[in-house]
Amino acid sequence: MTTHPAPDTGPATYLRRRTGLIVPLLLLVTGIVLGAGTLTMEVPDNVASPGPQLFPTMVAVACVVFAVLLGIDILRRPEPEQVAAPTDVDPATDTGTAARTTEATDVTASSASTNAPEAAAGDTADAGATRVRSNRRAVAGLVGTIVAFIVLLVPLGWLLSGALLFWGVARALGSRRPVFDIFLSIAISSLVQLAFSAGLGLNLPPGVLAGVL
Amino acid sequence: MSSLGNLGDGFLTILTPMNMLWVLVGALLGTAVGVLPGLGSAMAVALLLPVTFSLDPVGAFIMFAGVLFGGLFGDSTAGILMNTPGNSTAIAGSIEGHRMATSGRAAQALATAAIGAFIGGILSSALVVFFAPSLAELATLFGPAEYLALSVFAFVAISAVVSESVLRGLAALVIGLAIALVGVDGMSGTARFTGGMPELFDGISIVVITVGLLALGEVIAVAARRGTKEDLRVMPSTGRLWLSRGEIRLAIPAWLRGTAIGVPFGIIPVGGSEVPTFLAYGTERRLGSRRADSMFGKGAIQGVAGPEAAGNATAGTAMGALLALGLPTSATAAVMLAAFRQYGLQPGPLLFERASELVWALLASFFVAMAVLLVLNLPFAPLWAKLLKVPRHYLYSGITVFAMLGVYATSSKILDLVLVLAIGLLGFAMRRYGLPVAPVLIAVILGPLAETEFRRAMAVSEGDPSVLVSSPITIVLYLVLALGVTGLLVQRARNRRRTIASGATAS
Repeated sequence: MTTHPAPDTGPATYLRRRTGLIVPLLLLVTGIVLGAGTLTMEVPDNVASPGPQLFPTMVAVACVVFAVLLGIDILRRPEPEQVAAPTDVDPATDTGTAARTTEATDVTASSASTNAPEAAAGDTADAGATRVRSNRRAVAGLVGTIVAFIVLLVPLGWLLSGALLFWGVARALGSRRPVFDIFLSIAISSLVQLAFSAGLGLNLPPGVLAGVL
Repeated sequence: MSSLGNLGDGFLTILTPMNMLWVLVGALLGTAVGVLPGLGSAMAVALLLPVTFSLDPVGAFIMFAGVLFGGLFGDSTAGILMNTPGNSTAIAGSIEGHRMATSGRAAQALATAAIGAFIGGILSSALVVFFAPSLAELATLFGPAEYLALSVFAFVAISAVVSESVLRGLAALVIGLAIALVGVDGMSGTARFTGGMPELFDGISIVVITVGLLALGEVIAVAARRGTKEDLRVMPSTGRLWLSRGEIRLAIPAWLRGTAIGVPFGIIPVGGSEVPTFLAYGTERRLGSRRADSMFGKGAIQGVAGPEAAGNATAGTAMGALLALGLPTSATAAVMLAAFRQYGLQPGPLLFERASELVWALLASFFVAMAVLLVLNLPFAPLWAKLLKVPRHYLYSGITVFAMLGVYATSSKILDLVLVLAIGLLGFAMRRYGLPVAPVLIAVILGPLAETEFRRAMAVSEGDPSVLVSSPITIVLYLVLALGVTGLLVQRARNRRRTIASGATAS
């Protein structure tokens, strides 16, 4: 199966076109965890014949099998080929956008980021071919904000941590008005507090503002 | 005709000011998420699940009905005006729709889409009203083996058809099955994969899974795309709002053909409206090529009318299959099933007896929602397109805040927030590497059901596996499945050979 020419120049590029290997890796780990969990499962003695272990065993085996198959598929067909294929039947809308766009407009952001050389190298390596360009800094900022929100929710309370969440996500997604965003995010989290805590009776943690609210 | 009488009662239930308000709210929300690219009615219902917990079920479900159909009305707007379909269900209709817009007939295209969605939805809802009760009666004959066969059918069909690669669809399915295993096993009381944490004894909440996969996963995907150039020009909506007699004459048969194509697909679990919309588009194109004055390629009105009607017809019968059989045939239906479970209701044959008031109110709300949506979308589609001007970062921050709020509000567990982030990252990875999300949802919903029915069947037969294929219904289901998958694989292999051959001649 040597249908695809290999423009790969080195091991780094080779791997960068195959970051999708993370999915089979995840499947493999899931399969192993399920398998180990099934073996160590504490089953009551009086269980009817197809017990609680049969189904997990099947799923664990399926995980490993599909991890191997998917891994082989990704190794054989690296990314640019994938995205360049016709995407009009693809249910995922993001590949559609990705296929149409290659250029980075956000030059300042990407040059400031640590992985800019990599990204630039990637773009020149397959010029024209349309591999999805991932903005790792934005993803890191977004995930970091959510982690901070989860940690701070109970000690700080909804009002402040919710505002932080909105502010941080807007910033990670490219908002350029940090001061305006502070007011907007506090307004939004207060509105949520009013509508859902006072209005619909949902239980939101008050946190440090417990006495004030 | 007791169906009509029941439907009348349903109308009486929902024609109160408060319930009409819920229909309107649902329709507005649904159209909004439909217009916005990457967001769909499945995500909207998932986000609404936690916050509607304090509503009465009737109010919540008629709002969901509005969201469900609103998403299908709205998704064509962005596709026609900007050539960025709001959802995969609108891709087929946008091909000719955008061409109509570029040739100065945007308003006609929008009107054709809205009326098409209306006709498809109304006709399929009417079919559901008349046939769902008999379907439910048929389903009372189903035993464990039949339900297992239905689940297996749904698993394989959705994995094979939704994604372009069967391998990726099945991998997604397995991920969903694995997620569904967490929790205490209902039949034996064994704690499985909980790591000893009592918070996980009930399993991972369906709200956490849907919000993580559909909402947070999309937000992370948007973050990852930040900096990639995107075309956000909105075409001015020019042209007549009302269709001329000639246009209507072209559109009516296309609307009806689209509905006829869409209706059967609601009952087959192939992941919703993508397949029927493309089939309808293909049919219209082929029929159009026979005419001397074919407009295909220059903006043919039939190319909009057919797919739009097909999409909503599928959504209508999919709800019928969900109500009568308890079988979700698309991601949206899977989320609706989760909503029923949240209210302690199990869709399926017994639902028509146990919650008959709710069922008929829901069916009646389909008609009301469709009428409201026609009014909201026919004259105001260009206004909806303005929604795309809302800065992307504020929109998705709002979705994140709402997602985290909903997840925390249902359970007050910090662990659920950690899980939703983890599943959100999984959803992002799946979007990034081309794995479909729908099989995960179907597997999470139907996985435990399949396991329980399998073990029940085996327990009854005392370990004899032949019981699984002993009834005519199961034999037919497995045969149809085997034939369908073989046919699909043969067709895909043929297509691949053709593309490789053409690639070889080109290079």
